[in-house]
Amino acid sequence: MSETKAFEPKIIAFVCNWCTYLGADLAGTSRLEYPANVRLVRLPCTGRIDFNLIIKAFEMKADAVLVSGCHPGDCHYTSGNYHARRRWMLFRDLLDLLGFDMRRIHFSWISGAEGHKFQQIITEITEETRKLGPNKLYEGKPVAYPKFPETGLPLGDFSTEAEMRTTARTLLSEGSVQVVIGYGERGPVFVTRAEDADKLVWNRNCLTNLTAYLKRKEIKALGKAAIVVKGCDERALVVLEQESQIERENLHVIGMACEGLGLPKCAGCRVRQPRFADEVISTAKPAEAIDHYAALDVLMAMQPEERMGFWAEQFDRCQRCYACRQVCPMCFCEQCLADKNQPQEIDTSATRKGNFAWQIMRAFHQAGRCVGCGECTRVCPAGIDLWALNLALERSAEKNFDFSAGIEKSAGSLIGAYSTRDKEEFIQ
Amino acid sequence: MDNIYQPDLMEVIETQQQTRDVKLVKLRFRDPERAKNFSFRVGQFGIFSAFGYGESTFNICSSSNWNDHIEFCFRRVGRVTEGLWKLEPGDTMGFRGPYGNGYPLEEWRGKDLIFLGGGIAMPPIRCAIWQALESRQDFGQISVVYGARTPGDLVFKDEFSEWASRERTRIVQCVDPGGETPEWKGEVGFVPAVFERAKISAGANSIILVIGPPIMIKVTMKLLSAMGVPAKNVYTSLENRMKCGVGKCGHCNAGPVYVCKDGPVFSIEQLNALPMDY
Amino acid sequence: MSEIISQDLLRQCVGEWLAAGKRVAGPKQVSWNRVLYAPLATPAELLLDLQERPVNSIKEFFFPKHEKLYGYKIEGNDIRLTDPEETLPEQVILGGRPCDAAALPILDHIFNWDYKDSQYNARRAATTIVTIGCTTHDDACFCTSVGLTPTAERGSDAILLPFGDGNYEVRCVTEKGKALFAGRTTPSDKTAPEHAGPKKKIDPTKVGVFARDHFEDSFWQQQTLACLGCGICAYNCPTCHCFDIVDEGNAAGGERARNWDSCQFPLFTLHAGGYNSRNSQPNRQRQRVYHKFHIYPEKFGEVLCTGCGNCTRNCPAGLGILRIASEISHG
Repeated sequence: MSETKAFEPKIIAFVCNWCTYLGADLAGTSRLEYPANVRLVRLPCTGRIDFNLIIKAFEMKADAVLVSGCHPGDCHYTSGNYHARRRWMLFRDLLDLLGFDMRRIHFSWISGAEGHKFQQIITEITEETRKLGPNKLYEGKPVAYPKFPETGLPLGDFSTEAEMRTTARTLLSEGSVQVVIGYGERGPVFVTRAEDADKLVWNRNCLTNLTAYLKRKEIKALGKAAIVVKGCDERALVVLEQESQIERENLHVIGMACEGLGLPKCAGCRVRQPRFADEVISTAKPAEAIDHYAALDVLMAMQPEERMGFWAEQFDRCQRCYACRQVCPMCFCEQCLADKNQPQEIDTSATRKGNFAWQIMRAFHQAGRCVGCGECTRVCPAGIDLWALNLALERSAEKNFDFSAGIEKSAGSLIGAYSTRDKEEFIQ
Repeated sequence: MDNIYQPDLMEVIETQQQTRDVKLVKLRFRDPERAKNFSFRVGQFGIFSAFGYGESTFNICSSSNWNDHIEFCFRRVGRVTEGLWKLEPGDTMGFRGPYGNGYPLEEWRGKDLIFLGGGIAMPPIRCAIWQALESRQDFGQISVVYGARTPGDLVFKDEFSEWASRERTRIVQCVDPGGETPEWKGEVGFVPAVFERAKISAGANSIILVIGPPIMIKVTMKLLSAMGVPAKNVYTSLENRMKCGVGKCGHCNAGPVYVCKDGPVFSIEQLNALPMDY
Repeated sequence: MSEIISQDLLRQCVGEWLAAGKRVAGPKQVSWNRVLYAPLATPAELLLDLQERPVNSIKEFFFPKHEKLYGYKIEGNDIRLTDPEETLPEQVILGGRPCDAAALPILDHIFNWDYKDSQYNARRAATTIVTIGCTTHDDACFCTSVGLTPTAERGSDAILLPFGDGNYEVRCVTEKGKALFAGRTTPSDKTAPEHAGPKKKIDPTKVGVFARDHFEDSFWQQQTLACLGCGICAYNCPTCHCFDIVDEGNAAGGERARNWDSCQFPLFTLHAGGYNSRNSQPNRQRQRVYHKFHIYPEKFGEVLCTGCGNCTRNCPAGLGILRIASEISHG
């Protein structure tokens, strides 16, 4: 006679040392019973909880994860939980897009005096998770490739090439800059002599976000640069300046008004006219506004298992070439977390597990920073719809925090800042 | 399936901490058949692994005459060596090898041998010293100049006096200028300078093994040239980032040579023909 | 006299191969604007009559991007090694181009020159390569510069040459190819037109000599500044084969596996102690050219390149072998 063991869910709880851990302790000393399914992982503060830990918990076969800390205003380190709250808000939206079962991810504020609340929450989570059954990480339902809305492919006329060349030529011959970073016939060029200014082109193949070159040490070594940017690229300069990666006074920005490259990303472009350049060549007619997020709604209309199936099929193709990272102006870390091995944050292998971990890490590190230039999606050899990951976080930033990266110089940082009035309906 | 990447399982017999971040590990094959059939030439290397951490390349720093075990020596500097550091006697680790070309000892017979090394470069020299001492009659004068940043960074300290006690064998130890401690009785200076001061005779009948950073090789070779030592008599062991050890993964080439197959032992004549790719 | 097969019958064959438990891979539309060589679930997924070649190559069916070498179980002081336990199905790669197929005999050298790579060889033995000849080429193609043509048979077990009307001339090159198409073709007195392919664009010998003799030239810095150091060129190249070996697991055990690696990553030559023998992107770009056009011919008698153009076509910065080798050949 075979006996099947009843399913006992594994709950991992990441708790802060000063509140929730003491609350758990109080539950214990008060002899309040709560299910033994939970394993507590104690950290100094919820602000220290890397979103990657939630993913790791699921990788290690957790069936549900709880993240819990001090009530807003009571953080032992003053503001750690405010940072955490903002981060969780964004991270939840990313996980939801990816098709994670959001019923298995919980956030709470439990103080050191709330032994009862700890008991109650653990008990509830355990019972709910028992009903949900074991978590099947990264297993989804296969789904046909969806039909994303047609948005038109605006294409400008690119008639200002000569003017752009003259500008570059003048800057170089006057010695105002040592190099002009611009577009060449077959790709980016770095023009150091005035007589080579004719190597610069301005046409519908000027796709690269050249601001990605400002982080390269071989480019920095060339001296003071002028850079040719479209409005979408220029947004990156705003963020780079905010994050102290460039000295704006040490960069000459040649803004190119652009009415579209004929790409889907150009539909509804809000930045056809560069706004912070040292000079702007020509003027662009404003674009017809579109609902930027309509494409996301196609994905969010699917069932979570279908979304998970969609992304699993996509991420299975990921080669871990890191082109998405290398072309991104925001990925400027001298050594990426994915390239460190002490500790080994994520698997380097191109397996489903490794690829999900990488894609989540990359996307989330862009939260509030991605300017929507679309380069990552364009260059991905595997054709992964990276734009959707970035757009989901962009929508989350706009909806929850009224924030858009690289639009206002005064906007500050999304993740680096917090508000005591940030929303928290999802936190128990 | 004969999997060329599958390691032999080894038992750690003993670990000896040599300095604050260098350990010597002695291992034997868990499979007695494999132990019986195993042999190597000094100068060859192996790929040693701590399961769960990864593989790393080290010279086999024991003499090939020591039949019952092999040794390797490593500095704790990264993830894999962190894992190797944790090994205790009785633990199991992995070994693949021997790989590479080894020292051409047959060509060194009858010659005076001079060994020059710095810091963690000593292990690939140490095996050659023991091998030469174990066929003492095959070689002429043996001289060793070995230096490190400080006395605390010298490895195989306990073996120096054994070597110095052998016939026609002279050992000179030195530490970098500024690295000496009040108790230090040896020389002070960089290895090439100390070698020059020590007036060790070298000429056309000498074989020199010098292992260290490219700058040290360059300075030493200049000195040796002036003493009439041809570049083809001077050898070094190159260290390039390796992975597979069997000439497939593409990591270790220095110009046109695969260090794991055409090396790691090169004469300076061969090295001079290589582009600066190591 | 030739043998021909129709597209419909070809798709029917795909269905039969799948039903027989073979793994069949070919060009597939994987997203709205991306065609890759990928495993096919149904014959309808196979894309034929493509005007542009897929972004990737077929090497991943012989040399996967992630391949378990063996497993290890940690039991106290002891380790137990386990075989990869992978049942290798028979494979048919259908729809690769001559520049994809020719890469396999070139790769056979490195995986067998002394130590024989058993996993690679097992996949080679279990696979039948059915190539489709090219009827067009684009700006990035340069197969004719490295000894190939749009209808070259090297590396193929069979090659299908399109008539343009939905039929193919079937040329079986090996016994495997003959066996696969036995009884499925019909005789014809027509032969398919042969497309001439691109004019010669580079001189591989000149490129190899330049790389050897101009190792420290400012050429590399000038030409490759735009390189962003991603892995697209190496990973989608039919002949690039560099790999990393990693341990992945937990306290109970795990697997040691090999993953694709690229000489364009700074980590490629980084020593644990911090020293890096190729510390700038131009040096790393030089290495790729040097490896393909000097080292490989020196050791194995032929260049490590089939002129498929993948690197140049897909490089985010418009570089790639064609671009750099053209500068050398004509500069």
